[in-house]
Amino acid sequence: MGEMRESIKAQLNKVFQKVFDDEDIQITDATAAKDIDQWDSLMHITLIVSIEKEFKVRFNTSEVGKLENVGQLINLLLQRLGK
Amino acid sequence: MDKFKTIKELVANKSYTEAFELLKQALHKDDDFIVQHKAALVWKNFPKQHLDLKKIKVSVLSSSTTSHLLPVLDVWLAKNGLNAQLWESEFDTFDQMIIDSKSDLYKFNPEIVFILINYRDIDQDVENRIAHFQGLWDLLQQRLDCFVIQSNVDVPLTRIMGNYEAVLSSSNQNLLRKFNSRLGEAVKTGVTVFDLEYIAGMFGKKQWFDNRYWYHSKHAFNLEAIGLVAFYLSRLIAGVKGLSKKCLVLDLDNTLWGGVIGDDGINGIILANGAVGEAFVDFQKYIRGLKERGIILTICSKNEELNAKEPFLKHPEMILKLDDIAVFNANWNNKADNICSIAETLNIGLDSMVFIDDNPAERELVRSILPQVTVVDMPEDPADYIRALDEQALFETIAFSDEDRIRNDFYRDNSKRQALQKQFTDLNEYLKSLEMSSVVGDFDEVNLGRIAQLINKSNQFNLTTNRYTEVQIKSMMNDPAYSTRFFRLKDRLGDNGLISAVILKDFGQGVLGIDTWVMSCRVLSRGMEEFIFNEIISLAKTKQYKSIQGQYIPTKKNGLVADLLKNLGFVLERNENGVTWWHCEVSNVELKKVHIKKENYS
Repeated sequence: MGEMRESIKAQLNKVFQKVFDDEDIQITDATAAKDIDQWDSLMHITLIVSIEKEFKVRFNTSEVGKLENVGQLINLLLQRLGK
Repeated sequence: MDKFKTIKELVANKSYTEAFELLKQALHKDDDFIVQHKAALVWKNFPKQHLDLKKIKVSVLSSSTTSHLLPVLDVWLAKNGLNAQLWESEFDTFDQMIIDSKSDLYKFNPEIVFILINYRDIDQDVENRIAHFQGLWDLLQQRLDCFVIQSNVDVPLTRIMGNYEAVLSSSNQNLLRKFNSRLGEAVKTGVTVFDLEYIAGMFGKKQWFDNRYWYHSKHAFNLEAIGLVAFYLSRLIAGVKGLSKKCLVLDLDNTLWGGVIGDDGINGIILANGAVGEAFVDFQKYIRGLKERGIILTICSKNEELNAKEPFLKHPEMILKLDDIAVFNANWNNKADNICSIAETLNIGLDSMVFIDDNPAERELVRSILPQVTVVDMPEDPADYIRALDEQALFETIAFSDEDRIRNDFYRDNSKRQALQKQFTDLNEYLKSLEMSSVVGDFDEVNLGRIAQLINKSNQFNLTTNRYTEVQIKSMMNDPAYSTRFFRLKDRLGDNGLISAVILKDFGQGVLGIDTWVMSCRVLSRGMEEFIFNEIISLAKTKQYKSIQGQYIPTKKNGLVADLLKNLGFVLERNENGVTWWHCEVSNVELKKVHIKKENYS
């Protein structure tokens, strides 16, 4: 379980680096919009769309807006990927 | 993703041109949004002042969120040679922005206004909606010198009435289709349609419609389609700016037919009679369709000329005939040299040429030696040729005139004239033998489309490169300060059509200024320059002007006319950073001898 979580986090980290065009980003469960300069509502959409594509998942309308930090994102991805 | 890292490193090392070429190559319309987004970020931080791109101001007005589209559109416009300044309206305020003459839209003063709508903007009263958009276009054109690109609407997949929606005229599906067809009819000068419905279909409507992002943040379509929308929109904008391609350079063996004519012979090549042969026939039909809409066709093949021409003359299934080809170039020289010679024969720029060849090595050679030429990546299977060429959207246009329909013939006749010229040692004798006549007239509604096309597309024979929209030209037609003349030219080998336009302006104090003088390069050196000069002089005399003032503003492409005014006998007045001013006293002028008979326009 923990291993899967770490592998998702690593994959997710790459998406963050791409979206924010910053190779130095290292996300943690606590990482939230306030921690990344450019993470505004516009970039939030870019991020969510890119995560959907990367992990081949589809979030619900209710989930699109309320994913507030990386921990929540990973939880949701674990759930979606059935792991 | 590493490509983008390389680009950034090149920029850091000040290799701007190389970085930009790589960025252009890294852009693919079908790539995921994240890749489009990455490319857009690289472009956003690119030191654009080091590149030679045409500047353009574009406003995007939309009833949906366009914040993700704009940066991607920006990088796609760059790929099309345009350094854009983009401005978007606040979400769903475009009506107000257009109606309020003091809005930020007018402060921004764009030359292109793109109005993006979607099916949610249309209600039962289609005619009322059409009238509403027409009203907005009118306001825009009254207040701005702008070209309007209006999107139509995507027809959604939901059908309350099921198949019966196709029957009932008041069904949602039928109303939206009706809106789209009425919108096309409502378009007038200075306005064109961006076919959003087509792009939705191409992307795949099951994916295109993603209501989650509409409910969440008012995105009208799936963000994954942004690359495709930006691609097609950038091509259309480039088309509006006169940057569409004009000429196809076609290989023969395994491009227009299967097999090698030199080895397989006329009976051995694959054309019709079988699955692959049918694919080649259809590809030829598509190419002929392009010719009929005004694209110049040329051949560039490594072959003996006689062999290469044989199928055109003898093969019963050939769709393309020798008459369809403006320049036929079959020899063993390298194709880059041959393309240059075709460009020279036709007198068109390399950047308006498209190279089609099944051989990747030939494509690579042309791409590396002539980066200005568009090289289409042809797929291996001839069944996919049409799609590969079509989906590049290389020939976007905002008008279609009779001139377009027969353009290829002009160029073909010109090749014949060049052959004829070789028979004469004396130029005057040759010109006389052409039996030329020119129809001269004031600009009018009938010819407006072609005149605007000439003014906006001529790069070489163009003294000032002033670009005017049809709306602006129309207002000059009604302004006593301006005199206008268009010129047609025909000879015994064919009609060249309307080939030159001149706009003269009253500069005051008895001075008549040449604001604009453009001419199609296909009639160069036949005395038309002198004929037009004579016309300008006699117009000046009739209107009692004392002198004529002309200006030459150099660009990268108009070196051809740097000495035009000098050669016509104008005297240099001043030179300001390469921009030269010339004048000539009307009373001192002798009319030039020409071999062109004048016919008045009626």
